[in-house]
Amino acid sequence: MRRRTSPVITASIAVLASALLLAGCASSGADGSDAVEPAASEPQTVQLLAHDSFVVSDDLITALKEDTGITLEIISGSDAGTMVAGAVLAAGNPTGDVMFGVDNTLLSRALEADVFEPYESPELTSVVPALRADTAEGRVTPIDFGDVCINIHDAAFTDIDAPSTLDDLIDPTYRDMLVVEDPGTSSPGLAFLLATIARYGDGWTDYWAALRDNDVKVAASWTDAYFGEFSGGGEGTRPIVVSYATSPPAEIVYAEEPKPEAPSTSVMADGCYRQVEYAGVLAGARNPEGARAVIDWLLSEGVQSDVPMSMFVFPAREGIALPAVFTDFVPTIDSPLQLPPDDVAAGIAGWLAEWGAVMGR
Amino acid sequence: MTPTLPGWLRWSWLPPGAFLLVFLVYPLAVLAVTVTSDSGGGVISTLASPTLWQVTGLAAGQAAASTVVALLVGLPLANVVSRYRFRGRAFAQALVTVPFVLPTVVVALAFRSLLGDGVPQGLVLVVMAHAYVNLAVVARIVGAQWAQHSGDYESVARTLGASRWRAFVDVTLPSLRPAIAASAAVVFVFSFTSLGIVLLLGDPTTRTLESQILRQTSVLLDFPGAAATALVQLVIVSTVLLLGAAASRRSATRRSRPPALRPLPSSVSGRAAVRITAVIGALIVLAPVAALVASSLRSSRGWTLSWWTSLGSVDAGTTRLSPPSEAITTSLAYAALTALIAAGVGGLAAIASLTSGRSRIIAVLALIPLGVSAATLGLGTLLAFGRPPMDLRATGLLIPLAHALVAVPLVIAVVAPSLRSTDTRMSAVAATLGARPTRAFWTTYGPVLRIVMVAAAALAGAVSLGEFGAATFLGRAAAPTVPVQIVRLLGRPGEQSLGVAAVLAVVLVVMTLLLVMLVDRWATPLRRTTAQENPA
Repeated sequence: MRRRTSPVITASIAVLASALLLAGCASSGADGSDAVEPAASEPQTVQLLAHDSFVVSDDLITALKEDTGITLEIISGSDAGTMVAGAVLAAGNPTGDVMFGVDNTLLSRALEADVFEPYESPELTSVVPALRADTAEGRVTPIDFGDVCINIHDAAFTDIDAPSTLDDLIDPTYRDMLVVEDPGTSSPGLAFLLATIARYGDGWTDYWAALRDNDVKVAASWTDAYFGEFSGGGEGTRPIVVSYATSPPAEIVYAEEPKPEAPSTSVMADGCYRQVEYAGVLAGARNPEGARAVIDWLLSEGVQSDVPMSMFVFPAREGIALPAVFTDFVPTIDSPLQLPPDDVAAGIAGWLAEWGAVMGR
Repeated sequence: MTPTLPGWLRWSWLPPGAFLLVFLVYPLAVLAVTVTSDSGGGVISTLASPTLWQVTGLAAGQAAASTVVALLVGLPLANVVSRYRFRGRAFAQALVTVPFVLPTVVVALAFRSLLGDGVPQGLVLVVMAHAYVNLAVVARIVGAQWAQHSGDYESVARTLGASRWRAFVDVTLPSLRPAIAASAAVVFVFSFTSLGIVLLLGDPTTRTLESQILRQTSVLLDFPGAAATALVQLVIVSTVLLLGAAASRRSATRRSRPPALRPLPSSVSGRAAVRITAVIGALIVLAPVAALVASSLRSSRGWTLSWWTSLGSVDAGTTRLSPPSEAITTSLAYAALTALIAAGVGGLAAIASLTSGRSRIIAVLALIPLGVSAATLGLGTLLAFGRPPMDLRATGLLIPLAHALVAVPLVIAVVAPSLRSTDTRMSAVAATLGARPTRAFWTTYGPVLRIVMVAAAALAGAVSLGEFGAATFLGRAAAPTVPVQIVRLLGRPGEQSLGVAAVLAVVLVVMTLLLVMLVDRWATPLRRTTAQENPA
């Protein structure tokens, strides 16, 4: 008789313990944010869903709290693509109140899934005219923009001219010199593919075949391309890379002290693809009021002045003074290439497949 | 069949079962419901596409090659590091764990800078990197069993005239088969589902299903297609794990000696062989680490300490990086929680595998998270636990739970083979003498459990220390782990980014070494006394 008690008791304890564990998880889930942020259950906390490259100065978050009482909780959503994928799946019952960082290549998919609810920020009137109209019927707000451009390691072009147009890149002079990112795994890689489609139309596959024959190198990520293959970034050997218009100033800002006076790389002004990053109130947000206030904050002079040095992109707001490294080392991109978001959404799967066929990947 | 197992063992499957149900099955079910309510037709068309099956074949070949190389390098290391007593052994054992925790982007950059442009990208490089990263899996799983290997039977075989090689092949290998099978299955699965290394060091011939899934979710937002690919991956991986579990169940011999470290062999050649293996192993592990240390101390102007001195001030006052001390605390806290959860859940599942019948199935089921696509599980977890009514993100539990899902199969792979090859005559004797089954159970399995659970917990902690995906996907931006900080730094230009990332990678290596050595130390007093009781 006694021999049977022990296993029964042990089993009951095991069941109880698991039940307690589950209950604990459930209850801490319901009020879990209270444990960390005292104001969570009040409307003062706003969850900002942002991709992993989102950076802002801490004082601006403090200022937001002082001005509006909002405690900003930044929720990391991995890279922009994965973040938007999560938002599309969670549409209607979102994982945050407001999302930052959906760009013009992903925008259509987010809009199709009704991820956002409309909001027109009073600050929108201060946005540069070219972006102001670009709000998808008021569902998103442009926050910043930047250009994906060919970058050049200047030291490699003392004897020959550096390439100056997309056409130059298929010239045998620049054989074995270019490294690009795989458009299927890298955001700048995709932007460069879209740039070639915007420039060459149906002829884009011929252009890529010529790049391939000119021994272009395809890297998996920006990090691998810039630090691994590009001679201007790290230990690589190729002097031409697909990067950003703002990479040369970033190279100086993140150099060893004493900082060099000028970067060792420069930007090719032709063939740049413009990326615009948007924010929007997520449909079904717990705190839509606060979400709207955060969008106003993102367009405020403070955050907009912070955007260049923290994320190395350009502010959407007009009249923001740019830091000297921007005015000195970023060329003016007069006519950046762009494709309408709807065309990108409709074409992307086919383009990637065709690109893979041309490049043998 | 062991007659004297206590009755509560029949229920030991319950906690692991509940864990899998809540944190694996439920999130995947939520995801499946969300995706299929959208559209279901894409699943079929993806399953019918030739690309899917072509990639499956390529990935299987690559994973098989990676497994063979990892075993060839890992087995001698497991032998030396887990069996012999020599100065620096504890350090060597910790060192083997290091490759496992380095973020893949760091491993990839280190391999690139070490091997230069001479080595072409592609299969060879990917196989080498997979073997390197998985050394710890082989050395830990096989080592845990080899440590309990007395060598008596080999001595008998040698006395009877068998050559050293013959004794190894006919006596040693069969007795290690459960552990070798378990570790081979795990390495195969890790290589088959690999993402970072395949993307960074690979070429078109090294694609994996996981890389297809990533493209389908994050670039194309083709969820039905991703679901179909994830399903194929799950079926293949489950099959491999089942085969591995079956092979590791047929344990040949049961060992009677409690584990003990042996002194170095007495012969000059034997001594030299152990030393040479240890040195070569250390060189293999250390070369990329040395490259990292060098990058942390160099700039284009020469040697410098500025990356180390700027560690605390880089990006101070922004949301990009937290102070190094905070990132280290965050990483260690996640690692400790992961080790606790995974050791508890995985240990119980391994114990359940001792019993007969249905509850044994849990040890096989608990291996399944290894085959579930990380991207899929991440999205499912976000939908299930990242929003009301159940938002676990702020509790800080979501990341250790996600890490534990990956670590539990490793814990089982370490613990189960050792438990199964434990001599049970002791508990039969104890029961005959009137001991209650529970007492008899601890007498028999206690000493083994103590050692293998420590090894398993160390491996689980290591999984957590090095993990990047879940930490960036399910975490709070304000509390980044060390790997997340490294990857954030490597996302922007500038020498400082590269230099400080190298510093943080070195910090990660040191953290791992300290953690693993500390954990190993808990098991050492036991080993010492046994070694003294059994002077060889």
